[in-house]
Amino acid sequence: MPPLTEPSVIPQRTVKSDTRSKDQFAPTYYVVCWNDPVNFMVFVTHVFMKIFGWKRQKAEKHMMEVHEKGKSVLVREGAEKAEFYVQQLQGYKLQATMEPAE
Amino acid sequence: MKLVKQTQRGFQYELNREDVESLRFLVKQFPITAFAPARVSKTDAGSKAVEREKLINESLQAHREELKRKARGLVLRERFKTSEGKQFYRISLRARETMLQILNDIRVESWRILGEPEDPESAVFRVAGEKFRYYHFMRLAGYFEYHFLNLEEERR
Repeated sequence: MPPLTEPSVIPQRTVKSDTRSKDQFAPTYYVVCWNDPVNFMVFVTHVFMKIFGWKRQKAEKHMMEVHEKGKSVLVREGAEKAEFYVQQLQGYKLQATMEPAE
Repeated sequence: MKLVKQTQRGFQYELNREDVESLRFLVKQFPITAFAPARVSKTDAGSKAVEREKLINESLQAHREELKRKARGLVLRERFKTSEGKQFYRISLRARETMLQILNDIRVESWRILGEPEDPESAVFRVAGEKFRYYHFMRLAGYFEYHFLNLEEERR
């Protein structure tokens, strides 16, 4: 039986300072649609359905919120996806912006 | 203008002669203004936001150029078929989205030229001369938008 010897290299203790994924730190944004007097309600509903794939009922709920409250938060997303949605909405000439969620 | 046929691939509308000429004239006007950069955020003013706004506006400008390239093709004379004295216009689902974007660009930009009135319809009482054509464009674009969309909705 070979003699027991102490290991020459003692493993170091590793301390993980944080185990959360990188995504949890990535900033998120609210995609907001703002009211204007020129876009038809039926048009705004159509655009929401087209871009977000929403059913009519949900699209109309957000459209009414834009109409009555002046704005509606449509989605909360990471930067890249929020940029995509803003670009799509503005492509239809809706007034859309992305605002930092925190 | 009325919807006469709807399939999974697209729509067919019946238009009168005046509608045909108005739609062709209007779409050929696109774009009625030069591209103007849009605000992308009301609260974020950081350097990343500035860069983001620049990139989104570049993308919007390229998209508008693409719409411009497609506009005339959407209203070529041969797209309007005449049968038994009636005129028909066939448009695919995708092309209809392009058409709606073009029409709404004309509508919104006309409204801006008119000074962004709170009540767009009332603008008629305040505009004169050269600007009156934009009031006409805004209303005409709205007329076609409404019919391209609403007639489809009524059938659901």
